[in-house]
Amino acid sequence: MTAAAAKPRTGPGRTRLLSAFKASPATYAVLLVVSAIFFVPFVLMVSISLSSDLTSSQNAFTVIPSEFEWRNFTEVFTATGLPVGRFVLNSVLIATLSAVGQVLSSSLVGYAFARLRAPGKGVMFIIVLATMMIPAQITMIPQFLLFKELGWVNTYLPLIIPNFFTNAFNVFLVRQFVSRISGELDEAAQMDGLGYFGVYRRIILPMMWPILTAIAIFTLTHAWGDFMGPLIYLNSEESMPLALGLQYMTGTSNEMQLPPWNLVMVGSIILTLPMIAIYYLGQKYLYEMNLQGGSAGVK
Amino acid sequence: MENTIRRRTLVQAAATAGVAAPLLAACGSGDDGNGPLKMVVWGGDLDKETYQARIDLFEAENPDITIELQLIPSDQYEQKVQTMIAGGDGPDIMQVAEGVNTYSSKSQILPLDDYAKDAGLDLEQRFGPVGSLYTFEDKVYAIPDRSGAMIVYYNKDLFDAAGVAYPTAEWTQEDAQAAMEKLTVAGTQWGYGGAGWWPQWWSFAYQNGGQIIDDGGQPTINSPEVVTALQWANDLAHEYHYVPTAAEYADMGPDMGGDPAFAAGTVAMNTTGFWAIGGLLEAGINWDIAPLWRGAQQAVSAFGSGLAISRDAKDPKKAFKAIEFLTGADAQEVIIDKAQDVPANLEVQQSDAFLAPSWATKPINMAAFGESADFIFRAPFIPQWNELQAALNDNLGTFWNEGGDAQTELDKIQTQLESIITD
Amino acid sequence: MSQTVDEAPGAERAALRAGGRRKPSSRRRKEAFYFWLFISPWLIGFVGFLLGPMIASVYISFTEWDSFTPPQWVGLDNYAKALTEDPVFWKALGNTFYYALISVPLGLVIGVWLANLLNKRVRGRKLFRTFIYLPTLVPLVATAMVFKMVLAPSGPLNDLLGWFGVDGPAWLLDPTWVKPALIVLSAWGAGGATVLLLSAMNGIPRELYEAAEIDGAGSWRQFWSVTFPQITPVIFFNLIMGLIGSFQIFSQVYILTAGGPDNASQMIVPLLFREAFSFYHFGYASAVAWLLFLVILALTLVAFRWSRSWVFYEQEVR
Repeated sequence: MTAAAAKPRTGPGRTRLLSAFKASPATYAVLLVVSAIFFVPFVLMVSISLSSDLTSSQNAFTVIPSEFEWRNFTEVFTATGLPVGRFVLNSVLIATLSAVGQVLSSSLVGYAFARLRAPGKGVMFIIVLATMMIPAQITMIPQFLLFKELGWVNTYLPLIIPNFFTNAFNVFLVRQFVSRISGELDEAAQMDGLGYFGVYRRIILPMMWPILTAIAIFTLTHAWGDFMGPLIYLNSEESMPLALGLQYMTGTSNEMQLPPWNLVMVGSIILTLPMIAIYYLGQKYLYEMNLQGGSAGVK
Repeated sequence: MENTIRRRTLVQAAATAGVAAPLLAACGSGDDGNGPLKMVVWGGDLDKETYQARIDLFEAENPDITIELQLIPSDQYEQKVQTMIAGGDGPDIMQVAEGVNTYSSKSQILPLDDYAKDAGLDLEQRFGPVGSLYTFEDKVYAIPDRSGAMIVYYNKDLFDAAGVAYPTAEWTQEDAQAAMEKLTVAGTQWGYGGAGWWPQWWSFAYQNGGQIIDDGGQPTINSPEVVTALQWANDLAHEYHYVPTAAEYADMGPDMGGDPAFAAGTVAMNTTGFWAIGGLLEAGINWDIAPLWRGAQQAVSAFGSGLAISRDAKDPKKAFKAIEFLTGADAQEVIIDKAQDVPANLEVQQSDAFLAPSWATKPINMAAFGESADFIFRAPFIPQWNELQAALNDNLGTFWNEGGDAQTELDKIQTQLESIITD
Repeated sequence: MSQTVDEAPGAERAALRAGGRRKPSSRRRKEAFYFWLFISPWLIGFVGFLLGPMIASVYISFTEWDSFTPPQWVGLDNYAKALTEDPVFWKALGNTFYYALISVPLGLVIGVWLANLLNKRVRGRKLFRTFIYLPTLVPLVATAMVFKMVLAPSGPLNDLLGWFGVDGPAWLLDPTWVKPALIVLSAWGAGGATVLLLSAMNGIPRELYEAAEIDGAGSWRQFWSVTFPQITPVIFFNLIMGLIGSFQIFSQVYILTAGGPDNASQMIVPLLFREAFSFYHFGYASAVAWLLFLVILALTLVAFRWSRSWVFYEQEVR
């Protein structure tokens, strides 16, 4: 089922390669150079994370690692005076629940927009698209006051709950994806007596995995790295996610000392690795969202 | 097959979410009355350790009250605490300093006079003139906790090597500049750590007889005295090169400045608060402290902080009980024992424990603090303190980084302050 | 229409609009009911988290309010203050424009260029693709920390420039170079655009290339005559989302420069954040947010207008 979106990438005849797809030595050269440039900050990150406290305090880093203090990777949890383990846990919790919320709600809403007919639907969809343009900052202050009234300040709820009410971008993605699935299947299923929810659950949902995985990845990435939300809503150290905790780490060192850059970079790596893993596992879906020309236009 | 499995995971995930939500809500601040008191402070590891040790003392004597301490990075402290209060989740006890009247003018912290009276606490007696430092419209909003003048740290080895006499309170700005010149080795060593922070260059301004805000509450930041002071502070870096420029600091490493550079032995003098002592005990340099030099008159800024109670405090009486204890002699001694800062409590400040601290691995001229106390100037703690600081940062960035004309910048700031303050 | 006497007029019209095929009205109504039921999560979120707060925001923007004392109605004063009195607002707006109008097109050019290279039969394609996408996966906070090092006056970037005999600036400390520094940081994440672009390129029918090949078009011509027109909708989509996103830049500024030096890197959202949460000017901050919205709206409309001349829609979206 998951392969539903795959396109044949090679022609039937396996004739000679079309010029557009021919990779010249220059192609390789450019890709190598760009990859290298894009990679340097990572190497620096790793190099700093493996440097000793002394090197760190003197800022004597090299881009290519010259020391290998692996114990930094355990020290980050014990030696910073901050509950770093808890930070990680908080990040996992916030990101996972946010993704669950987005997947559940956007699949349902997107399905409705793609398949169900109702008066007023067109207007609603235009509203969906229009809301994409509204900067979050407009609602930031009233939302803050709303969550304050609800007693949600210093809980994860302001960061998680809105995800259960989906967002315009994801609705749009799902709607585009579902529109491209042939309607024959659900019509047949409806003949067999399946209701709308049944069609959604048994027919459409199973075919939506590529786009839902992509949405899950987007949401996870966003929630995992979100800085402003936690900055506004979370007050106690125990409740902070790693993205905010990391910044705390650089701010609470002693006056005469530099921040423990080596441990901060270990933290950065811990913050980055899960994102790489998720991407690696989900990349198939990312590149198969199938938003090819024509259907992805924001019209 | 595959689909059923996936569906099940999805349903499970949804169920987990449903179960977890109330749990999440519960781990918030939903306590009313009998929960622990929440106390927020700024600073680093040492500060946290010291406050915690003082809290431990308090809890040992008052088993029915617990205090939950939270450290917030210094540069975000004000914003974070204000956001907490705006969100109705303010701390019970909070550290305040120059920004105190941002809170008091908007009634975000409670006046403490009545609590002090009930507890029989005489602020004048316990803290001297500092007792009334955190007063706004005749009401006291914070109890002094830490209080010490800015002092000069100097690297004895570098002074000896350059054949310069150690600094004293009798030095004039010219003497200081002459010393910096001798202590500078182009590109590797600098005479002074710089005066880009307001307590530093404001000290020079008050030494010249200037004022940032005059006694009538009007800004006078572009007066000739202030202009001269700021220009001098800046010229030390960009004209004379006795102070590392921002670029030179950045090359020493990220977040580098006078304090770590002094500890590293790259600058010979540095003006900052007591708190640097703790870190320097471990540094491998030979140093001591002295009172700040003088201008036309003596003047130096004080670093201090007090403890206040926010309007969200569930039980202000309890919170005050804690503050009273924390600023009392027993708890204040911990501040010295940990080499954190100068305690505000006079009795402790004059004790041997302070003048000859147990941790001093070598004699340190602790009397410099008492000596400086005589010529501390009172910085204008206006309610618009944050805006005042923002106006300085907004206009002086390039000036500090690249040099420039103090008059031009201060004229701009003056105009801005006039509109901020009349608001 | 008299033959459908027993049907509700609304359902009848809906049925007619849907192509005239007549079905029992109860089925129509049921479908409509399910539509509203299914979109209710979005609808509730829209009303509760967007529309309601937006209306509140309009009101707040007409007041002076510190959130502690009752708000004071000041009419358009906040807007007037931003537009006529506050020099920082104009500076921040100018900086935001500078940042958005350079970083977004630059990111797109790099993104399209890389996607096109990655779309070729390259050995180790997956690996390159990963390398190029990798920076997007680093959370902004971590990116900002690393770039604090990368952009140091004697950091790796200036080392690299030094190889070419260029004496690099002090980036974050220099008012002229601090915005380009933020753009460098955003260019590092340009690989992010390759996901959508590649997936769009994937879907271009092969026959189009074959036809072009027969016409004797080389790879360059094939890119401009086949690939590019086909992916213009995605480019446009990225352009719009990129503009909206870059006008809301916050974390990088907050962590790397705090708006300095001299507000040279002050942007609208950090400014708004400072006004609201440091100065308690909730009214003024709300007014700034609305001005930001108007700017974004205007730019989006301009972009849509402009898009008619170059975006190619093979089939119109319903």
